[in-house]
Amino acid sequence: MALLELNKLTIQFGGLIAVNKVDLKVEKGQISALIGPNGAGKSTAFNLATGIYSPTSGKVLYKGQDISGKAPYYINGLGIARTFQNIRLFKELTVLDNVKIGCHSRSKAGIFGAITRLSAIKKEEREIEEKAYQALKLMGLEKKYDEFADNLSYGEQRCLEIARAMASEPELLLLDEPAAGMNLQEKGVLVEKINKIREMGLTIFLVEHDMKFVMGLSDRVAVLDYGVKIADGTPEEVQVNADVIAAYLGKEVV
Amino acid sequence: MTLLNGLLPPYIESIAITVGIYIIMALGLNLITGVTGQLSLGHAAYMSIGAYASAIVSLQLGMPFIFALLAGGIAAGIFGLIIGYPTLRLTGDYLAIATLGFGEIVKSLLFNMPIVGGAMGLAGIPYKSTLTVTFILVVIVIWMMLRVERSRFGRALLAIREDDIAAECYGINTSLYKVKMFVLGTFIAGIGGALWAHKIMVLQPRDFGFMKSIEILNMVVLGGLGSIPGTVLGAIVLTSIPEVLRFSSDYRMLLYGALLVIMMRFRPNGLLGGVDVTKLVKKSIKSITGSNFTNKEKKKVKGGD
Amino acid sequence: MDFTSNFIVQLINGIALGSTYALIALGYTMVYGIIMLINFAHGEIYMVGAFVGLALVTVFKVHIIIAFLGAMLFCMLMAVSIEIIAYRPLRRSKRLAALISAIGISIILSNLVNLLVGPKPQTFPPIEEILFEIKSYDLIAGAQINTLQILLIVVSAILMIGLQYIVKRTKVGKAMRATSQDYDTAALMGINVNRIISYTFAIGSALAGAGGVLVGIYFGVVKYNMGMLPGMKAFTAAVLGGIGSIPGAMFGGIILGVIEMMTVAIGLSSYRDAIAFGILILVLLIKPTGLFGKQIFKKV
Repeated sequence: MALLELNKLTIQFGGLIAVNKVDLKVEKGQISALIGPNGAGKSTAFNLATGIYSPTSGKVLYKGQDISGKAPYYINGLGIARTFQNIRLFKELTVLDNVKIGCHSRSKAGIFGAITRLSAIKKEEREIEEKAYQALKLMGLEKKYDEFADNLSYGEQRCLEIARAMASEPELLLLDEPAAGMNLQEKGVLVEKINKIREMGLTIFLVEHDMKFVMGLSDRVAVLDYGVKIADGTPEEVQVNADVIAAYLGKEVV
Repeated sequence: MTLLNGLLPPYIESIAITVGIYIIMALGLNLITGVTGQLSLGHAAYMSIGAYASAIVSLQLGMPFIFALLAGGIAAGIFGLIIGYPTLRLTGDYLAIATLGFGEIVKSLLFNMPIVGGAMGLAGIPYKSTLTVTFILVVIVIWMMLRVERSRFGRALLAIREDDIAAECYGINTSLYKVKMFVLGTFIAGIGGALWAHKIMVLQPRDFGFMKSIEILNMVVLGGLGSIPGTVLGAIVLTSIPEVLRFSSDYRMLLYGALLVIMMRFRPNGLLGGVDVTKLVKKSIKSITGSNFTNKEKKKVKGGD
Repeated sequence: MDFTSNFIVQLINGIALGSTYALIALGYTMVYGIIMLINFAHGEIYMVGAFVGLALVTVFKVHIIIAFLGAMLFCMLMAVSIEIIAYRPLRRSKRLAALISAIGISIILSNLVNLLVGPKPQTFPPIEEILFEIKSYDLIAGAQINTLQILLIVVSAILMIGLQYIVKRTKVGKAMRATSQDYDTAALMGINVNRIISYTFAIGSALAGAGGVLVGIYFGVVKYNMGMLPGMKAFTAAVLGGIGSIPGAMFGGIILGVIEMMTVAIGLSSYRDAIAFGILILVLLIKPTGLFGKQIFKKV
């Protein structure tokens, strides 16, 4: 059974069918990628998988359980964490607090815990701090813990997004254009980090623009064009697929 | 428990009590608007619910003040739940209007209900909000707010303020958290209202209009949305300065309006916004005693190394 | 008076009152449509319009029609300046900041007028002196409609048709619709977004100013705090109709006006405000997009 499965997934905004009967499987332990030209519906597919949108029809299955239309916080609790294409950090909070918030699903303290601060609550808070620190260290941000998220460089902000996602201890990590806006050297570092995360046993599903980045990293690649899946396979298979070439470069006039 | 009472000249003592009540009110609003970013324009309505409920407990049931206080807080909290549960799903500006509408409804009902005296209001409420009682409650509320701010719950509220969609994607049930927070904030407003009732001793619906909500909002904005020391400072400044300078209320309102515009334009984070007061205090302690708090904190973070 | 005639009388009163709500509601809905701001000061602009009209008629002794146009012009200029001073600098900051700034402007305007003319209601000269004799016409079942009500409804209708024309048929209108769809894309397409926003404020405020003068004539008195409550009810009307929708604001205004007068008719006049706001909260809960609003997808 695939870890995540999109089953004839469809969403319509007014007259536009942004994602059209897409079938897709993300196998456990692999790095799967979803690529396609701008506006192909990649991010929308992510938003469907994480509960931000409810599908018009079709299903999202996680470990065989139907999660379509469930609230994002619930889906995060099941073990899916994501990053955002247009970085959505908690800008006016510190780097450390951003990551601590990522730990939310894996901790319990509520209002009364906040006020009473019993020893169990203090212990939980220490654990959160420890986990947050580990997540920052993984992404190489531990020295910046005290900075405001807004003051980080663009590449660092992208890394912080991943650190925050890692803090929620997911089994499945969804990365929405993780390399966007990064220079070559930063991309190289990012590939290393993503591979390291995979070695930790996580499954990764990413949306990306940069073909080179995707092809070097992924086990499987699916291609979306105008909301429809036009190809699915290993990077080698997809690269030579005529439909994919046409979608990216335009059809040749014969 | 009459430690502080009578230490100050009566006039100053009266102002000090008023300042204390406004600190409590403003801290409740700061939780809602400053920390969580949900603009409430009906804070005075919850204050009035607390005031009337506590007054009824005192007048009709003759119960001790502590019960009147709790009744005020709980009544306001219940209304906070009733109005917050549906409206907090709305985006910021809709919420602002809904809370404002609710405030006007409450005022209109108070005007029309005989049980609370209608337009005449309630009179003969016993004087119970002494300086000592007010001071103790101010300390408790500040202490509670400081604890809430630095907790998992408080961080979730901050996350909602910063980006509610991202917060939701990181496991925070934003609707539920907003409701819980709103109930806590309105509970505190109710306590403030109960104190107010037992200081002024007379309640009239028109004391709790939109302008009262704006007055409280101004304290939070002046000090810095989300900053506890800022809110306390804002409440002190805006309560005591008009008293001392004896502004006519017309000019006072004009000043409040101008203050909102100017603060948003030039210092949207308030006088103390972006200033970490605890850090400043630690730094000054360090410079005085030579002990190293900040490093200790760092070590704690790096403990997992 | 029997039930039917009473009903018709209150219906006409409601439509007349509702027309003024609609005129104010249009400004809220247009501004919200374009910059997603509840222009809190909009109710005060309506109030200022009423006072400018009054001043032009009583102090400067101009004809009421000139005063009407003068009030519209004054409100236009005032709203455009307010936007530039208090909203434009905050366009890229948090939405809360602009909203708080708007509340500040609202408080400044009402208190400024209070300081200038005092808290007492000011009376408008009787309509007979400035325009025409009021005549009443019989309708069915003994109910009547008078020339003042006809004037209010007709002028409001003309203004709204004019607005529809501007929005649907002119280049500025097209630019407005484009900007409300997507601010950044409109800017990329060469639309001077700042100017379009100014136009939006100008048109919306001219309508509010017109509403102020009409209400002044209709009820005969104006007061410094007359803006707040109708402002909020007009906002309710805009939400009821679906915020961002121009026909929605018109219908919302009239529906709200009618409901309010019906509340009075059944003897609950002391609850009329509470009921109006109750409707607001109910609409927000049940159908926050209103009667004519489209569902908005959040962009992530």
